Amino acid sequence: MSNTALKIFTLGRNGRGLFKPNVAVVQQRFIGSPAKDGYVYVNDREPSMDMNSITDRAAQTMFMTELVRGFGVTLAHIFKEPATINYPFEKGPLSPRFRGEHALRRYPSGEERCIACKLCEAICPAQAITIEAEERADGSRRTTRYDIDMTKCIYCGFCQEACPVDAIVEGPNFEFSTETHEELLYNKEKLLENGDKWESEIAANIHADHLYR
Amino acid sequence: MANYFGLSAITNFFKTISSHGGLRASLAKMYRMDSVRMGTCVGTDKYGNKYYENKSYFYGRNRWIEYAPYYALEYDGSQIPAEWFGWMHYKTDLIPSQDPSRPQYKWMTDHTENLTGTPGQYMPYSTTRPKIEAWSPTKA
Repeated sequence: MSNTALKIFTLGRNGRGLFKPNVAVVQQRFIGSPAKDGYVYVNDREPSMDMNSITDRAAQTMFMTELVRGFGVTLAHIFKEPATINYPFEKGPLSPRFRGEHALRRYPSGEERCIACKLCEAICPAQAITIEAEERADGSRRTTRYDIDMTKCIYCGFCQEACPVDAIVEGPNFEFSTETHEELLYNKEKLLENGDKWESEIAANIHADHLYR
Repeated sequence: MANYFGLSAITNFFKTISSHGGLRASLAKMYRMDSVRMGTCVGTDKYGNKYYENKSYFYGRNRWIEYAPYYALEYDGSQIPAEWFGWMHYKTDLIPSQDPSRPQYKWMTDHTENLTGTPGQYMPYSTTRPKIEAWSPTKA
């Protein structure tokens, strides 16, 4: 009785002994039971060359059991949930610290934050930032030119770390690829426009991270 | 029991088709979005994009957007406005109307998609007066 059960077990487990269940299978160690002599031999063994196992192997080849099992795996994967995401409709997780497209921010009043201190220009390791400053009509110090070459930029985030007034930030946007090079030579207008467009998300990101700075 | 044998997939299949309004509508959705799935609509932005969630899918696939119908097949990842960007990217579980950390200033502008390759694309220009101005000699 128990012998029959064992035979069924080995059948289900690896498809062996389908036609001639051999005695060696019965003495095989069950998975999970401790090894009797303290260690488990894990290397490949020489295939046994007695008549019984040769017949078994020949039967497996004849009936293409590996092939059928392989098709089974393929079929199972057709019905499996995919591990990839369907990009423009689904999007991957992103950190609030993500460093994407640059933006120049404004104060809640609408006044631009940048005071042309040029710390970002000084720290930029790729020298991608160019700033020129002039006195504005009301006497405040403002930039007249704030250019970032986005193709030089290495997105290290030093500019936003250096900024004393949180004016230049690397926003969350990463979908700003262009067809031409010149479209990536951002000037001050473009950066301020980015700030106006993305302020909701930039402010939310700064709020999410404010306890860690 | 039906769940164990995966039979719920069959009932889900029919439920999904009926929730999208029939076989024809489901096929149209399949053509446009490459997947037809059931989910609850958590919100709509002012551009008409609809945001869906179904937590039975794994993290990363459990939120999706259905771009507004007038985009047709010209949908693009950059059409998601800044307000919904954080929710879409799993930065926050709060939809924009519930999120107190999102300010509303009057100078904030409407969202635009990535306009490269269109007449509306950005072209760089100088924002300063030229350093050197050409001399135009007065005639005699």
